[in-house]
Amino acid sequence: MSVATSSAGNAKAFTTATVTTGAGNFPVSLYIATVVVAFFLIAAIAPKLLQTHDPLELDLMSSLKGPSLTHWLGTDQSGRDLYSRIVAGTGQSLSIGLGATALSLAIALMLGVTAALSSGWIDNVLSRFFDALLALPTLFLALLFVSLLGTSVSTLIVAVGLGTSPGYARMVRVQVLRVKATGYVEAAKALGHSPRGILFKHVLPNAISPLATMFTLGVGQAIIWASGLSFLGLGVAPPSSEWGALLNAGRNYVIYAWWLEVMPGIAIAAFALSVTVIGEYVQQRFEGRIELP
Amino acid sequence: MSKPAAVRSGFLTKTLNRRLKSHAAIIAVAMSGFSIVDAAQAEDASAGKPLSGGIIRYGHFQEPPCLYGGWVQQWYLQRQFSDNLVARAEDGRILPWLATAWTISDDRKTYTFQIKPGVKFTDGTPLDAQAVVDNINGWLSDNPELENPTAGPYLRGVFESAAATNPLTLNLTLKTAFEPLLNVFAQSSQGILSPTALKRGKAVNCESPVGSGPFIVEKWNRGKNVIFRRNPNYNSAPATAKHQGPAYVEGIEWRFLADPTIRYGSLLTGESDVVYHIPAANWHDANSRFKIVRHLTGGTPLRLALFSERPPFDDVRVRQAFAYASDRRSAVQAAFLGSLPYEGNFALSQSSPEYIGELSKSYSYDVEKANKLLDEAGWRERDANGTRSKNGNALIIRITYTNAFSPPDGDQVLQIIQQQAKAAGFDVRLQPTNQADFWAGKNLGPNDYEALPLYWVAPGAEIYRISYKPDLNGVRNPFNPSRYQDLPLWDIIQKAEQAADKTQRIALYQQAERRIVENAPSLSYTVLDVTLALADNVKDIWLDSGSVGEPVFSDAYFTDKK
Repeated sequence: MSVATSSAGNAKAFTTATVTTGAGNFPVSLYIATVVVAFFLIAAIAPKLLQTHDPLELDLMSSLKGPSLTHWLGTDQSGRDLYSRIVAGTGQSLSIGLGATALSLAIALMLGVTAALSSGWIDNVLSRFFDALLALPTLFLALLFVSLLGTSVSTLIVAVGLGTSPGYARMVRVQVLRVKATGYVEAAKALGHSPRGILFKHVLPNAISPLATMFTLGVGQAIIWASGLSFLGLGVAPPSSEWGALLNAGRNYVIYAWWLEVMPGIAIAAFALSVTVIGEYVQQRFEGRIELP
Repeated sequence: MSKPAAVRSGFLTKTLNRRLKSHAAIIAVAMSGFSIVDAAQAEDASAGKPLSGGIIRYGHFQEPPCLYGGWVQQWYLQRQFSDNLVARAEDGRILPWLATAWTISDDRKTYTFQIKPGVKFTDGTPLDAQAVVDNINGWLSDNPELENPTAGPYLRGVFESAAATNPLTLNLTLKTAFEPLLNVFAQSSQGILSPTALKRGKAVNCESPVGSGPFIVEKWNRGKNVIFRRNPNYNSAPATAKHQGPAYVEGIEWRFLADPTIRYGSLLTGESDVVYHIPAANWHDANSRFKIVRHLTGGTPLRLALFSERPPFDDVRVRQAFAYASDRRSAVQAAFLGSLPYEGNFALSQSSPEYIGELSKSYSYDVEKANKLLDEAGWRERDANGTRSKNGNALIIRITYTNAFSPPDGDQVLQIIQQQAKAAGFDVRLQPTNQADFWAGKNLGPNDYEALPLYWVAPGAEIYRISYKPDLNGVRNPFNPSRYQDLPLWDIIQKAEQAADKTQRIALYQQAERRIVENAPSLSYTVLDVTLALADNVKDIWLDSGSVGEPVFSDAYFTDKK
């Protein structure tokens, strides 16, 4: 094993994990995170490959059984296999995470770029609008949308996407303003490039690239927000095994059948943590604080 | 009723002192190694009465939108601050309460009540015959400020007039005999409220209703608790009470702890003295640790009302098939872990006097029978998922539910029904609806659901008038969510209500009961219960089992004076 070094020569700059493997000098945490994310991606795309039981199959004689060789993560109140239900719920949970983050970033791009490029009163109005929305907790905004639109996967995507967009919009605005002030944009103006050309060739590519990092970080967060809504009973209708819905279903059994809360909680935490590790790595790559081996 | 700040302050100070003393007592006991004070020591040696004092911290489940009204959660609250005309004992006998005596005319249409003298509402208004008349007329009026959603559907069709013939004599005249009248008067929703206070309007009364009961509503902190203070002048306890006179405890802190785990946990940690509705997962633990008092409520069981006004449930064979398609007995066992009994009698809960036990065995799980009935009903086509269809319409059953009527553990029963009914070709879709949306009518329109879990509690079969009265003369019965229109059934129900002879009345109600089960306009699985778990140092909290099990705190006392 060796210690990763950043381009600036500061080994502590990469804080996610400094322990690396010999093969390729990638941090161990990155390998683990990749394996975890890969597992959940397979679960989302082809859940039947990983399921050990039909996630909806009832076995009332096996109600609330603890983890065992037959049921790796135990069973729920109706005797359904919890591991298979977590696998089955991955698709919905990831759809919500990816969909909500994509929606959030799309809104952020549209409004953030508009604000940064327009300056003047439009920028002022949009900036105050972002500030006003940021003053409201994300969960409150999401609850508002769920109340208006009802509960479903698409509603959760919209609710979480809209709820988290103000923060991203402000970041996009700042990024665009930063790039606008750089020398190469000034040079392009001096060379007589058209405003449209400057925008698409210089400003947007440079302002948007950090968003890739934000996207990976946002997916994990969006899943947590959606799980929170489901936990409050405002998520997907039963018998969906979306992770937050699993948490909600198990909350009355937290002492009697701990696995109903702990196992979906671990799935949420593992996925969110893993995409965060990957996101941080990507971020540091973009910022040049770490070099590829 | 709003109290002066000084009074509130005094009440809160006492609460705090009580808690400090309680903690001090626990520490003292722990240090000395002595056992907790024995219940017998709490008896006042000189008077032989339980000691007074202390505030009961009660953890409840649901918080209603108003402190009185038609929902049973409101009855529980109303039982604390109002008195009824009569009381009903668990064995069905009608006993005096505000009415000390009464006579019934030979034609069973005129009731004459003698009202107890010297009773006052807690705002000082005399509780006399005119006050009762004002209440009854308000209940049955069309005035939304005064109408009573329980008394209204029971009595509107039979009530003629009420009059105070002298300050303490009330005459009530009916259009036709109605034998359940006194049962209706004994339910807490028919508690008598101060006519003076009622003039303040519903919004004010919802917050601070005024009755003559053992406790006074001091403050409702929405989302948190209702503070009840003892009525020091209480002199109108029912004959079913364990003692007459003011309550022993100084008050009740009625907390709304919606999460069952938190609620039960508050009893475990000593933060509550009494809690309502033990979560299924904690049922056995609670029975081993605490005294449990419970009442399985009469009236209709917890049931799925099947919308019978349009396909697919307009066909009795489809309703029956749906009943056969799920193993509701096992579902109840799995979901409630023994904390609630199975109820397969679709018409009536097992604590009702007219209950026929054998009907609970109807419609045992039998997918073959379900399939046969659906084939006969013409639902023969099946898609790739096995869902049946007829004339191009899939056999979809949407169940709208809310925890206002379906207890938290009950969601699991619905999921089991959903999964099991697949085998017979039903595509069951669950529509969880939060309570606020539910009360606003979301997912409850005539085209929004095929099944709806609910209960309507009552002492017994008199509930049929509310739940199964058909639409008559163009007037829709809004309390018949299955929209089941059965005129012969209505005829039997009316005959039962008019039968003076108890044996004949029960026989007629049972005839109706069999007809309801046979035609399956609803599909039951368990009953509503009222279950309290009590800390060791609290005694004599009881449930008004003659009514619908409202918790009664006016006889309660602490064995270690707090």
